[in-house]
Amino acid sequence: MRFDSVALPPEAEALRGQVREFLAAEWPDGYWPNSDFGEGHDPAFSRKLGARGWIGMTWPKEHGGGARTFFERYVVTEELLAAGAPVAAHWIADRQSGPLLLKFGSRAQRRRFLPGIARGECYFSIGMSEPNTGSDLASVRTRAERVDGGWLVNGAKIWTTDAHRNHFIIALVRTGPRSANRHAGLSQLIVDLKAEGVAVRPIRNLAGGEDFNEVAFQDCFVPDANLVGEPGGGWTQVTSELGYERSGPERFLSAFRVFVEFVRAAGPSPDDGAAALIGRLASQLMTLRRMSISVAGMLQQGQSPVVESALVKSLGNDFEKMLPELVRLSPLCRAGREGEPLPFAVERDPMSAWLAPLERCLRQTVLYAPSFTLRGGTREILRGVIARGLGLR
Amino acid sequence: MDRLLKETAERVFADHVTRAAWDDAESGIFPAALWAVVEKTGLHKVGGADSGTGWDDLFGLLTVAGRHAVPLPLAEMLLAGTVVADANAAGFTTIAAGGLAPWPTAARQVLSIEGQVSSEFGCAPASNLAGEPFAWVELLNPRPVAVPRELPTLLAVSRVALMAGALERVLEMCIAHATEREQFGRPIAKFQAVQHGLAVLAGEVAAAGSARDGCVAACGTPRFVDEAAAAKARVGEAAGIGAELAHQVHGAMGFTHEHDLHRFTRRLWAWRDEHGHETVWQTRLGRRVAAGGADRVWDFIVGA
Ligand SMILES: Cc1cc2nc3c(=O)[nH]c(=O)nc-3n(C[C@H](O)[C@H](O)[C@H](O)COP(=O)(O)OP(=O)(O)OC[C@H]3O[C@@H](n4cnc5c(N)ncnc54)[C@H](O)[C@@H]3O)c2cc1C
Repeated sequence: MRFDSVALPPEAEALRGQVREFLAAEWPDGYWPNSDFGEGHDPAFSRKLGARGWIGMTWPKEHGGGARTFFERYVVTEELLAAGAPVAAHWIADRQSGPLLLKFGSRAQRRRFLPGIARGECYFSIGMSEPNTGSDLASVRTRAERVDGGWLVNGAKIWTTDAHRNHFIIALVRTGPRSANRHAGLSQLIVDLKAEGVAVRPIRNLAGGEDFNEVAFQDCFVPDANLVGEPGGGWTQVTSELGYERSGPERFLSAFRVFVEFVRAAGPSPDDGAAALIGRLASQLMTLRRMSISVAGMLQQGQSPVVESALVKSLGNDFEKMLPELVRLSPLCRAGREGEPLPFAVERDPMSAWLAPLERCLRQTVLYAPSFTLRGGTREILRGVIARGLGLR
Repeated sequence: MDRLLKETAERVFADHVTRAAWDDAESGIFPAALWAVVEKTGLHKVGGADSGTGWDDLFGLLTVAGRHAVPLPLAEMLLAGTVVADANAAGFTTIAAGGLAPWPTAARQVLSIEGQVSSEFGCAPASNLAGEPFAWVELLNPRPVAVPRELPTLLAVSRVALMAGALERVLEMCIAHATEREQFGRPIAKFQAVQHGLAVLAGEVAAAGSARDGCVAACGTPRFVDEAAAAKARVGEAAGIGAELAHQVHGAMGFTHEHDLHRFTRRLWAWRDEHGHETVWQTRLGRRVAAGGADRVWDFIVGA
């Protein structure tokens, strides 16, 4: 495992100012910044980003991409997240569905889907988890049976983020019999979320949001043209997505707005305690960012840094969880101070407008924090991947 | 870091950092044989004027020294060499910070971070957590020298480099131990709890290396103080977490004087405190972030 020291090239740095100008001009009216990549599903905003060429940046031009480097994509994504822009609509399609189709999809699929994704018009969901399949992904039960001209899908996916808002889901399904090789007989299908036989039911989360869903398939017909790669190739394909899924700045910036508001509350000359906390968080963040840029460098060289990505995600998620926990104990935070009411307990809407900005984003982050070390591979699973990389298993 | 230099340093330290050298050092006997080899190979001149080497080599050499827990005041020697001409000719120069210097008893002269140098000095003995001889020094008849304003920061970064190296070595020792040591009929590496401890350790080691690279790359730029502060704070945290996990994995064997683990972990505990512990550097860094204001926090992080 090696994290080479990588400096962002000038053409990537040059994009930073452009993204900031764009954000200043195009910020959606009244949108409250949130650095969680899953927050803010805004098709109009995604289309504007697409028009600027900031979706599908690393893909070839013939597919609507920008033929840019992973470093350039890195700068655009980190600037959007740091500012807290609404990026959820196109995020998954840009980060992993598009690259998956580019690598394993047919010519026709690339032509059909990639330009729309790059324009910020076509959105994808991840169809991996099921009611009985979480960390043990190879145990999926949703099956696709061969029929004339395609596949008939039955079963259910769950926790599918934004399935009620997006256009397609790439579902990992069983197309072959279960056998001693648990990874055989799996395939990936692109399913139209509005198709007949697909029922999408939002599931309310503990913070009151409705972002993830149950997606049930009942005799849902999927044409042959929507099979990604080869039948039986699903496992190799799905694991290749993980390098993209796990190393980006979204894995340590989810709680970033809390940091910004804490610095605002602390003012320009904070006391020693607040200054030390700010410095501790900054030192962690600067280091994580270096590591993530280092992984962008590996992607740029065509490597698939599975272990390094797992390591960045794991450290990054721990940081995202630690940040609000440390900030909330600062005397600068109102809620929980002696003699102050704890509005938390009686307040149903975590985004209550009457709260000061720091308390407001702190509450939101505390409520979402449990998901940070679950989504995209749990902390325990990531540690297992790292241990394998160390040669322990 | 220069490849040849790195290989030379690895070889010299692998061959000459012995238990006897460590034990001598802890009883106040300067490891003269080790020092003689360092002198012969010219490692003590790395980073100095006309040496053809730079900061990257100097801190690279210290990282290798950390990997081997070299019981010499190499950080002070090398940094003195960047300030005073011929600092390490016919003996070496050590550096006193806040009046405290490693190995003045064996040194030819002492440089203070306030900008004084002398070969006559009084010593009151002290030591660090690793048992390495330090002393409170009083310079007699000192002459003034121009020291760079960032010398204290460079000393802190020397500890960053040493810690990053020692952490790499500690991880290797843990992996080797966990795959060899058997309990309940299998190597302890097969237990998930042990794997997770080592995965966390690996994360800290990688973060330490990355933070080290960040401040070494920033040497000589206006960004240096901030990267150095971030690195000393972050790597100090990594040292504490790393040493704790390493001892847990090694069991009672790692708690003995016999086992070499403490040569590294005690140094990690010493180095994370020397030249400013985490809170000191966090506070400095935090003040710099806060001074820029909330809307420039991200600029600060990316160095824009
Ligand atoms: C906000 C959010 C959004 C999500 N979005 C999507 C999505 O869009 N698409 C999608 O497919 N999925 C999505 N997921 C699901 C996510 O991928 C799963 O939560 C994750 O894979 C874990 O599965 P599980 O929740 O069933 O937990 P389980 O696998 O049941 O795990 C429960 C606990 O047991 C531990 N555990 C399990 N196996 C092991 C093991 N071998 N060793 C040690 N510990 C173990 C886990 O680490 C965890 O702590 C989302 C989840 C969240 C929270």
